[in-house]
Amino acid sequence: MTNKEKLSFDVIVVGAGLAGSTAAVMAARGGLKVVMVERGVTPGSKNYFGGALYTHSLVDIYPDFFNRKPPLERPVTETGFWFLSKDGMVRMTVQGGKVNNNPIDAYVAQRAKFDAWWAEQAKKEGVFLIPKTVVVDFIRENGKVVGVMTDRPDGAIYAPVVIVCEGVNNLLTQKLGLIKHDFKGNATALAVKQLISLPAETINTRLGLTGSDKGLAISVVGDVSMGLPGLGFLYTGNDSISVGVGVTLDALSAAQIKPYELLQRYLNHPMIAPLIAGGQLMEYGAHLIPEGGWSTMPQLYTDGVMVAGDAASMVNAMHWEGTNMAITAGKAAGETAVEAHKKGDFSAATLSAYRKRLENTFVLKDLHQYRNMSRFLHNHPEFMDVYPNFLNDALGMFFTGFGKPKKQLYSDILKSLTNRRPLLKAVGDIVAFGRTVMGI
Amino acid sequence: MTRRFWVYIEQEEGKPHQVSWELLGVARRLAEEIKDELEKSGDTALVEGVLVGHHVEHIAREALHYGADTVYYVDDPAVKHYLNKPYTTVLTMLVKKYEPEVMLVGATTLGRDLAGAVATSIGTGLTADTTHLAMGSPKEGEKKLLMATRPAFGGNVIATILCRNHRPQMATVRPRVFSMPERIAEPKGQVIRENITITPEMINAEIVEFLTDKASTVNIEYADIIVSGGRGLGSPKGFELIKELADELGGVVGASRACVDAHWIGYEHQVGQTGKTVRPKLYIAAGISGAIQHKVGMQESDFILAINRDPNAPIFEVATLGIVGDLYEVIPALIKEIRARKEAAA
Amino acid sequence: MTNITIKVSFFTVRRLRERIEYGEIITIANKKDIRAAPAADGGNPVFHALVSIKQVPDTTNIRIDPETNNLIRQGVPTILNPYDAHAVAAAVEWKRKLGGKVTIITMGPASAVTSLRECIEMGADRAILISDRKFAGADTWATSYVLSEVIKSIHAQDPIDLVFFGKQAIDGDTAQVGPGVAVRLDLPVITYAVKIHAVDLENRKVVIERKTESRNEVIKASLPAALTCEKEIAEIPYASLPDLVYSLRYEPELWTTEGPITFDPAQLGLKGSPTTVFKTGTPEKHKAGEIIKASELGVDGAVKTALDKILAVEGMAALLGVSK
Repeated sequence: MTNKEKLSFDVIVVGAGLAGSTAAVMAARGGLKVVMVERGVTPGSKNYFGGALYTHSLVDIYPDFFNRKPPLERPVTETGFWFLSKDGMVRMTVQGGKVNNNPIDAYVAQRAKFDAWWAEQAKKEGVFLIPKTVVVDFIRENGKVVGVMTDRPDGAIYAPVVIVCEGVNNLLTQKLGLIKHDFKGNATALAVKQLISLPAETINTRLGLTGSDKGLAISVVGDVSMGLPGLGFLYTGNDSISVGVGVTLDALSAAQIKPYELLQRYLNHPMIAPLIAGGQLMEYGAHLIPEGGWSTMPQLYTDGVMVAGDAASMVNAMHWEGTNMAITAGKAAGETAVEAHKKGDFSAATLSAYRKRLENTFVLKDLHQYRNMSRFLHNHPEFMDVYPNFLNDALGMFFTGFGKPKKQLYSDILKSLTNRRPLLKAVGDIVAFGRTVMGI
Repeated sequence: MTRRFWVYIEQEEGKPHQVSWELLGVARRLAEEIKDELEKSGDTALVEGVLVGHHVEHIAREALHYGADTVYYVDDPAVKHYLNKPYTTVLTMLVKKYEPEVMLVGATTLGRDLAGAVATSIGTGLTADTTHLAMGSPKEGEKKLLMATRPAFGGNVIATILCRNHRPQMATVRPRVFSMPERIAEPKGQVIRENITITPEMINAEIVEFLTDKASTVNIEYADIIVSGGRGLGSPKGFELIKELADELGGVVGASRACVDAHWIGYEHQVGQTGKTVRPKLYIAAGISGAIQHKVGMQESDFILAINRDPNAPIFEVATLGIVGDLYEVIPALIKEIRARKEAAA
Repeated sequence: MTNITIKVSFFTVRRLRERIEYGEIITIANKKDIRAAPAADGGNPVFHALVSIKQVPDTTNIRIDPETNNLIRQGVPTILNPYDAHAVAAAVEWKRKLGGKVTIITMGPASAVTSLRECIEMGADRAILISDRKFAGADTWATSYVLSEVIKSIHAQDPIDLVFFGKQAIDGDTAQVGPGVAVRLDLPVITYAVKIHAVDLENRKVVIERKTESRNEVIKASLPAALTCEKEIAEIPYASLPDLVYSLRYEPELWTTEGPITFDPAQLGLKGSPTTVFKTGTPEKHKAGEIIKASELGVDGAVKTALDKILAVEGMAALLGVSK
């Protein structure tokens, strides 16, 4: 093999996940020669989530998205919260009405399949994919980034602009100095999940779905995280249920709890266990989630480089929004790269248009608004135990108070709150929560 | 007409390989299985050996003690050591001369090197690594054919293969799959030295040297006691403990493929489908999960003791006796107890 | 191979240490004056290795359906046969030492293209997929026939020095195709090869070490020759980026029964196979024996109980030299 030709492109995209493949296809649409460098054997082999994808972001990139027969699981036709106490559950979900759109706003998916397909769509528009290769550093000439170095012999690839979509372990972003620290234990969650296979009919019956074209996406709060800051989840696949829980690394470490112990406890919960009974474990996996949002967001660009997706901390954990942020950011980065090539200038000044684009979207707006959420949940563990437990007790007592004088009943219910948390504090919690959500 | 059941008698440095005797036993059984056809047709069946080497007459005679009616042998200094082409050429000539119906070869490295070449040279079918051989009629009333059964797909499937229209029907068999026949004290039978000269055209390679320094003298296939370690040992150091137990019992050390692939121990110790098939009197599997590739190599052992921390390990399905426990506790205790009982016996 | 002269000298086979000649061979192989480009004018010889590979199901990752007791073939990934991968690595290693090229061939279904690309990634230069419905059901005889015809044809255009095979495929496990092809092409064949010591293109000799149960043998044979490889023969390289990119863009050639060469239809596929599969089944399930728990009896208790049971078996006490 005497192929010593210099590998040179207009744009290098590091990572062929959701952000990467989107940035790549947008750049390709602008007439640029694009290469994606993916460390996995196939795109998606290093990605894992609950989870559901959001239609708005998908059709934004491919208007004929559904005609392409994407690999999706069930549409999310019912969604909401389950509040777990030690032995009980309060369910608050919505279905029909505003959820019943066409197409449905969210679809359950499996990343290994979906990301591979998403990358394939980009390849169809001329993007070149190099798999099984890790980008380890940047190549600079006269202080300017002119390409990347991979871990393979003769592993240099040249391009005037690099879009970094390397995921939560943002080593390259750190190498560039765009962020001064490695990921933080209180701003990163470790989520573990099991994908359990069950016949579609069984899933429908157990979860009250009227057909196999109906699906559930649930945020689980309370006992699932043992009082630690975190959330559980449940998603229905075509013939599988994904159940998992994520808690910040700091909290897990301080409590000396192993993530699989947390997961096992959740799966053994008296309200959860019957839902997955008899199923066969098909997949078991874990992934880090950047939950710091605004507080851990790196500088989004510098000369010759832009950062998008998990690598840029673009996750709004409370709303389970990360995949659509990644796609939106990828799109903005791709478009900015096209602009930069037209100008022939790849300096930070030109690439600042990337950030400006994002400021006009929900991505930076929401990340800014929710900038205090991560810290808030850390400082207010009662949202993970006191309030879910109280909710269970309150409703439970209410609906078993037959024959009881109601004044007494309400007084008891109030006591079940004040025994756990002084009323004034509880009010203060709600107000603080509201303020954190609104970003004020 | 004579129906011949042939066995390739393997030898190295003037020493016969035990698998040759095992196969003579099999050939005898196959000949018995067509008794009904022989009676009807008046044909005779003969179990015969074929042997190549230099100064090997004593081996030819020994083969008669294991049931060969005849042994044809070629003796020439040029074929003292095994080389593919001359051995293939000689066997092809003998097969064409005597037209055996069935030919069995031991599935040793030599046998597997030879059998494929011979089958192609003759133009017949060969089934490798068979675990079961029988003469049977594929359809009612049809003449009996060699039904050669072998594992495929890593041992997950067993297939029975037929070679309908070509002769001889060839099969290779791993050592220790079949047991040794009884040695006949006073055999009847004859050895015939075939008049074949090895010409230069038959030789296309030469042996430059033998290296015995790195290859071990371990040959676990014929051990009566084997103690095997698996990935559950956690590190190559675990084999020190395995060896201690093996030494205490007077046995040899075996290993699962995972350990060999991880370079914890040499391939000569590997038990399993891509390693050795063993049938010792006692097989101890420590820290071995019991994947089918391993099971296939040791499940015919007389007594299997499995030691594993995981009560659901598949090895327990094939073990005569299982101990669920930490091998790093169980094995030292076992060694201690054995020593104690040995002293008591002394 | 009727159009190749095999220079055969009659060597008496004996236990010689031909160190001197051996050493000379190595020196020649290391000489840097062997040009990489094919020398049409008969200049310094150039190394051409051909590797025959197979794409196989990953038999280490197979499951049995607990209800039907049958193989679950769905979703079993296909891989490049591991022994073949090491054979390719060895061929590429020597190509890089001597200058020359590596051709890969495979007889298989369309999906085998991914395995061919893996070989290009490892450093091979040319890959050919030999695929046709008429090959279906081929046993090792019919397979070695097709491969030999293809090799003969390639050799006529571009003389081959070494033909590599993996020692066996992990689905068939027969190890017959390598020796079968060698016999058809009248090539010396060295099976269970663990190391290539020297390749002397000028004097047309190769020295290869093979492994047997009891010892290793070093064999010298004339070129062209064939070998079947153990994993030790070479390590799989981590491809350079240019090699990987080349493989991603590489389109293997497709040979069928329509061309570029023709085959004798009587020797193809099921019809051309002397052996046929009569029936298949799954191996018998073994009955589980007794299980003792160290957690219940204590380690010493468990060990004592186990030994009692073992020694109760006839002949065991004598075998182990222990009292009952």
